[in-house]
Amino acid sequence: MSNVKIGDSLKRFEDQRFLTGRGRYVDDINLDGQTRAVVVRSPYAHATIRSIDTAAALAMEGVLLVVTRDDWQREGFKPMPTKSAVKTNADGTPLKEPPRHALAIDRVRYVGEPVALVVAETLSQAQAAAEAVEVDYDELPAVVDPVQALAPGAPQLWDGIPNNLCIDFELGDKAGTDKAFAEADHVVSLDILNNRVTAVPIETRGCVAAHDAGSDRYTLWNASQNVHANRDTFAEVLNIAKEQLDHIAPDVGGGFGAKNSGYPEPVLCLYAARRLGRPVKWINSRSESFLSDTHGRGQTSRVELALTRDGRFLALRTSTVGGIGAYAWTVGPFTPTGGSARTQGGPYHFPAMHYRGRAVFINTAPMDPYRGAGRPEATFQTERIVEYAARTLGFDPVELRRKNLMPPEMLPHKTPMGLDVDSGDFPLLFEETLKMADKADLAALRAKAEGAGRKFGFAIAPYLECTGGGPKEHAGVVFNKDGSIELAVGTSSTGMGHETALAQILAANLGVDVDRIKFRQADTTATPLGGGHGGSRGMEVGGNAVKQAADEIVELAKPVAARLLQSETEEVEFADGQFQAGASSVSMNDVIEASLDSDKLPDGMEPGCLDHSSVFERGVISIPNGVHAAAVEVDPETGVVGFLGYWVMDDFGKIINPMLADGQVMGGVAQGIGQALLEDIVYDPDTGQLVTGSLMDYGLPHADEIPNMEIGYYEGAPTKKNPLGVKGAGEAGCVGACPAAVNAVLDALKDYGVTHIDMPLTPMKVWKAIRAGGKHDPHGLLGDAA
Amino acid sequence: MPEISLTVNGEQITKSVEGRTLLVEFIRETLKLTGTHIGCDTSQCGACTVHLNGKAVKSCTMLAVQADGAEITTIEGLAPDGRLNPMQQAFKDHHGLQCGFCTPGMIMRAMALVAENPEPTETEVRHGLEGNICRCTGYQNIVAAVLDGAKALRS
Amino acid sequence: MEDFTYSRPASLSDAVAVHGNADDAMYMAGGQTLIPVLKQGLAMPTDVIDLGAVWQLDGIAVSGGTVTIGAMTRHAVVAASNDVGRAIPALATLAGGIGDAQVRNRGTIGGSLANNDPSADYPAAVLGLNATVVTDRRELAAGGYFDGMFATSLEPGEIITAVKFPVPEKAGYAKFPNPASRYALVGVFVAKTASGVRVAATGAGQDGVFRVTVLEDALNDDFRAAPLRDVTIPEDNLMTDMHADAAYRAHLIGVMTARAVARANGRD
Repeated sequence: MSNVKIGDSLKRFEDQRFLTGRGRYVDDINLDGQTRAVVVRSPYAHATIRSIDTAAALAMEGVLLVVTRDDWQREGFKPMPTKSAVKTNADGTPLKEPPRHALAIDRVRYVGEPVALVVAETLSQAQAAAEAVEVDYDELPAVVDPVQALAPGAPQLWDGIPNNLCIDFELGDKAGTDKAFAEADHVVSLDILNNRVTAVPIETRGCVAAHDAGSDRYTLWNASQNVHANRDTFAEVLNIAKEQLDHIAPDVGGGFGAKNSGYPEPVLCLYAARRLGRPVKWINSRSESFLSDTHGRGQTSRVELALTRDGRFLALRTSTVGGIGAYAWTVGPFTPTGGSARTQGGPYHFPAMHYRGRAVFINTAPMDPYRGAGRPEATFQTERIVEYAARTLGFDPVELRRKNLMPPEMLPHKTPMGLDVDSGDFPLLFEETLKMADKADLAALRAKAEGAGRKFGFAIAPYLECTGGGPKEHAGVVFNKDGSIELAVGTSSTGMGHETALAQILAANLGVDVDRIKFRQADTTATPLGGGHGGSRGMEVGGNAVKQAADEIVELAKPVAARLLQSETEEVEFADGQFQAGASSVSMNDVIEASLDSDKLPDGMEPGCLDHSSVFERGVISIPNGVHAAAVEVDPETGVVGFLGYWVMDDFGKIINPMLADGQVMGGVAQGIGQALLEDIVYDPDTGQLVTGSLMDYGLPHADEIPNMEIGYYEGAPTKKNPLGVKGAGEAGCVGACPAAVNAVLDALKDYGVTHIDMPLTPMKVWKAIRAGGKHDPHGLLGDAA
Repeated sequence: MPEISLTVNGEQITKSVEGRTLLVEFIRETLKLTGTHIGCDTSQCGACTVHLNGKAVKSCTMLAVQADGAEITTIEGLAPDGRLNPMQQAFKDHHGLQCGFCTPGMIMRAMALVAENPEPTETEVRHGLEGNICRCTGYQNIVAAVLDGAKALRS
Repeated sequence: MEDFTYSRPASLSDAVAVHGNADDAMYMAGGQTLIPVLKQGLAMPTDVIDLGAVWQLDGIAVSGGTVTIGAMTRHAVVAASNDVGRAIPALATLAGGIGDAQVRNRGTIGGSLANNDPSADYPAAVLGLNATVVTDRRELAAGGYFDGMFATSLEPGEIITAVKFPVPEKAGYAKFPNPASRYALVGVFVAKTASGVRVAATGAGQDGVFRVTVLEDALNDDFRAAPLRDVTIPEDNLMTDMHADAAYRAHLIGVMTARAVARANGRD
């Protein structure tokens, strides 16, 4: 029997090295002969490149190489592909995918776009030489707001792409939805901004690239969340076979989606390493990260809700414009289209829904996944319009939600957005969350806040989301003579604890002690395929791959056990780490030992016969769901918001490791609160310069801004979509937190007549909303563009 | 190049450094103690926090030459034999870390905080960590770990 | 970062001499602003002169109604000083709220004042308390010391050695931090002295720290927080950025002043 089971809060194995300073992140890797690279980035949001003169830079001490567009064109390197799951306009035509080269060729289209790579013996030499690369630009007008970019007369980013429109996508029943709106007793309509933010993992992006001329093989250590997909992209660009590139993610210091993409810098370093015959290291600075990391959210939407007189939801209609940056990045076009469409309407019953999403090119850094990638946006849109309807039509916000939640007997249910909602008990989680909050004595919290001259607010926000990311995962298991068991999985932990949770699944299913397992991940040399990290897929796809491998190993082991038990394979049963045949039994440990000893194996079986790899493929995406609730106080004198309580009930299906699940929820909520209250990527509307170019202006939550959260799990409705019965936990915290936080603040401001403030709800914006006394144009963001 | 002598994790060290070399660069690149991390360039994230003569400082905002004659402790100095000290153990027990990148700085600050205030309240811990940013944990488990680590260090 | 010649003189006269012989020298006190500036290439001095070993510059003394703080005294030391806490508690509070704990262990009062960042805290105390900035060659009254954003009346090579704060009847400091950087978006130091009330605001003015005369007038009439609600703060010359426009800063000056007065009056 194993010393762990599914559901144990097993402490993490990776902690020992992280706690003692012995983690190995990419910047900790130094190879013999290593050089340093620095990227020359565009200072303009939009400009033609007249010329690039590298002579002065090349003449400087220590400078080895300057890579420019000339090299890229001479080598015939390909653009980086978009891998958006949605590639078709509503009219059936394909989306616009302009070439995305690792280096700007003729024009730069955002501040920070790579223009050249300078490689030198030392970092300071490379930095100095990067300053000396002379680029002659001819500045062009820029546009950074996606609604403005759609308007007639706006600056055009691409020849042959009118109105900067990448894709115009629709989902749902337009006629049915329009009809429901026409016949409804009540219709409410509100423009909602989902502010542009960025992930800011505390470790910046970086890589070390090496090339061996003899074998013509490349090795890339990269702070990546997705080594297999990135490898394929880099190989495609460089015109090499993907087998020529070993892509390894060492310890990665956070990702949250920002390390998912195939970025330009690693491919530039691979090329430079080949040219120089020496390893090339590149580490992004924090300020460069704000310019060059992918951003998230950045959607402007008109959301409309049709209701009956007594508050039953009839239809939901959303039209979103998303600014995806200057290029169709890896999955950029997907987020404001399919990504935000699927979970519209949340856990409420909507007879009709229609979603239109337009992805628009703008002169900003690229858009790509950020924790949730579309589901936080959908949930925010749904929960804001519900709250707005309650407030403007006079419904109690709790009652209005309660009335419209899908009851469990309605499941399974396919939503009008095509989402397959199979299991859950939304009303139960709703009531449980209210009970948790009530236990904290909301009346007393209110009295205390009001006694101190502050306004009290409370909101509850049910959410329903879905998993995503790569549908396939590989798990390989090798049994060693020293008793250790190697587990290699193609997932990518950037802090989630796969080294522990996946080992826990293997150990529990094999019935062996977890300490025997040695974990290896995110290494294309160790796993032939892998889906990396994204879409809360770690346990859902990776965990199930491990379980499947374990189950298959048990079958492989039965003949070995049968011989030990002097029985027939068909008679052997396995449970709790024991193989049983009649009255006799043998442990998995003994069977593993026997499997490595040719004397103990049945004829035809060789030592190592239990070593096994398995590929799990997800059929249908899972539906994590739950409810967030927040209590806040607002200082009306300053507009400052403080949290008085935060409660969460989640249905992630079966919980593998509650401690790790808690960590995911807490971190996700903190990022959601960050977006709701202070994080904001701001570009100057005239020049396209990034205003929030460092942590001096881009606010991240600190320890004194995030509340303690009380978290509960409902495991009564595990999904049958996968063998483990898990639904995904990584992003849900981020999905529920924005609406809970924002609606709680707006509840606190209701006496002032305030019904809407766009995120982030900074002190100044809250104070100004109070002063405006509720004066607000509900269609002030999209205007005619809706 | 100036020559500096200092004690790092109890070891006496003498090295030549450029004037411009930051303490964090000296620690990471010259001494190869890579547990001290760099997470920003505006002195805000705190990932580079080390102890200078027992006080927490940001090693990205100090020159190596300024540490001449000083005693430096880095994360590697807290558990030289691999046995976690009570604060490190509390971080593990409370799942006070995820990606681990901010963790060394967070622990060095936590150790200094507890040295200054052995019995901190939750509010004092939250306020006392304002120079350290974590993007993974939402801080809740870090705060629990520091309170528990403080208790363990008191006893 | 460009390289430079580093020196660590042991006395004031040595420091001034090194400065005089260098092409383009900068003094470094705590380095908490200078080092980020050097890292960003915003300054490229040939020489950096570290004042950390100059023995004359450290320490706190209280005598005859004056608190004298040596220029190299770290913020953490001022914050924890019982002498400062007894004589001018608002000054200790201010020092304890600068930056974060790590910054307070390195940053110094002299460095803060020489840099005169428009969002720094100490300038508000110096102007609010009508302190005297002592240098290696003269004494400068607070009113004549500050000369706009990042500008002071220090001459090339001049070194702040100490700051002399007259002990007020009472004083309070209230700071509204920038949500991102946590520098003062608005910080107000209020001091009630025998010669009247002084109100100094930092973080808000386009020309750095300044006295808010409309609030001084109101407080000279009635040193309480409540009547300040009716005072309108002029928006002229206040900063506007993404975190706060001039109207919000003007409003916050009033709120922070009221809170500083409440603290001065012992009601937080």
